[in-house]
Amino acid sequence: MNVLKALIIASAYGVLLGSHAHAAPQTFNTALPVAEGEYIFREQGFYKSATDDPSPANREAKVVGSISVLGLGITGKLAVFGVLPVLHKELDMTTPAGKSASRNASGIGDARLFGRYTVYRGDAPGRTFRVAPFVGLELPTGDSNDKGSLGTLPATLQLGSGSWDPFFGVVATYQTLDYEIDVQASYKVNTEANGFEFGDEARFDASLQYRLWPRELTGNVPGFLYGVLEGNLLYQSRNEIGGTTVASSGGTSLFIAPGLQYVTKRWIAEAIVQLPAFQDLNGSALKDTFTVRAGFRVNF
Amino acid sequence: MAAIFLSAATAFAGGAVYLLQADGLSCPFCAYGIEKQLGRISGVESVTADIANGSVRVVMKEGTNLDRQAANKAVEAAGFTLRGFGRTGSEQ
Repeated sequence: MNVLKALIIASAYGVLLGSHAHAAPQTFNTALPVAEGEYIFREQGFYKSATDDPSPANREAKVVGSISVLGLGITGKLAVFGVLPVLHKELDMTTPAGKSASRNASGIGDARLFGRYTVYRGDAPGRTFRVAPFVGLELPTGDSNDKGSLGTLPATLQLGSGSWDPFFGVVATYQTLDYEIDVQASYKVNTEANGFEFGDEARFDASLQYRLWPRELTGNVPGFLYGVLEGNLLYQSRNEIGGTTVASSGGTSLFIAPGLQYVTKRWIAEAIVQLPAFQDLNGSALKDTFTVRAGFRVNF
Repeated sequence: MAAIFLSAATAFAGGAVYLLQADGLSCPFCAYGIEKQLGRISGVESVTADIANGSVRVVMKEGTNLDRQAANKAVEAAGFTLRGFGRTGSEQ
């Protein structure tokens, strides 16, 4: 019973791990700085749909949620972040008896805490190149034992994993006044809880942002409108129940995401659509249809 | 001649103005951090970044000066590199 695997991968992992609150990518992190003593708050809402069911159960899954992120610059190189998701997960399906069934869960998901340290900074007039590793922990703040009218919800439909899951990675950013490129590689170690263990997750992300407006820069700090194109390559190994591998779990997905971002000195507004370009999921797991994300960031 | 002296006296009646060059400053959202850090320095009246030139204009309160070491520390705390530092005159 792993029908929400794709949602878990790209929603929980993609959004939460990639929720760094700064200008730059919308689906993952950046190496750009958070000034010492500066706070950045980010809120991102999203809607994710998975309807491509290879089985006769006609499963349709969706996740609606919001992700709140608070970042704090400890020094010019070190920043820490807290991430709290609020999720509504829903699964509709047809039973073998031909009846419709629906299961859902709503509430707080698993929070994340992580730190990011800039190990390399190459600054020049109007441009910068930075490399910043990060490490963090996903906390079991979401309910992992929720029950419905049909009994305990499957682990993939629970709001939380119940486990303490470390993750780490490295992000590099090259930014000029005209464009920005970010690339990130990361890995999340999922541990066991309640007899269930999600497969570990690895991902590689890339983003290009190009300044569409203003075409010519004048004085002071004008707002920038960026056209955005992002890509997310995700791999998850198979889940385990009681030490036994779940065949219909894990796999590889590639998402392409066009979007827009308007950046000012104090706030950012942004929106992006993630579309599956390639999905090689094991067994009968549901495939993603699309994900829409929109949100804002402010600094103070 | 009296008019010239009067004009000069007026020109230096305001606070000192400094122009800083900050390398790595390449997006609007980053500009806030550098303005905030420089604004915390004692005696600073106002800070204005110019992202196209990578420059930051700092106006001091009357009778105060901006120390280069303090400016460098503030720019570093914002996550950028101070390349140039100079006094350009006084606010009129």
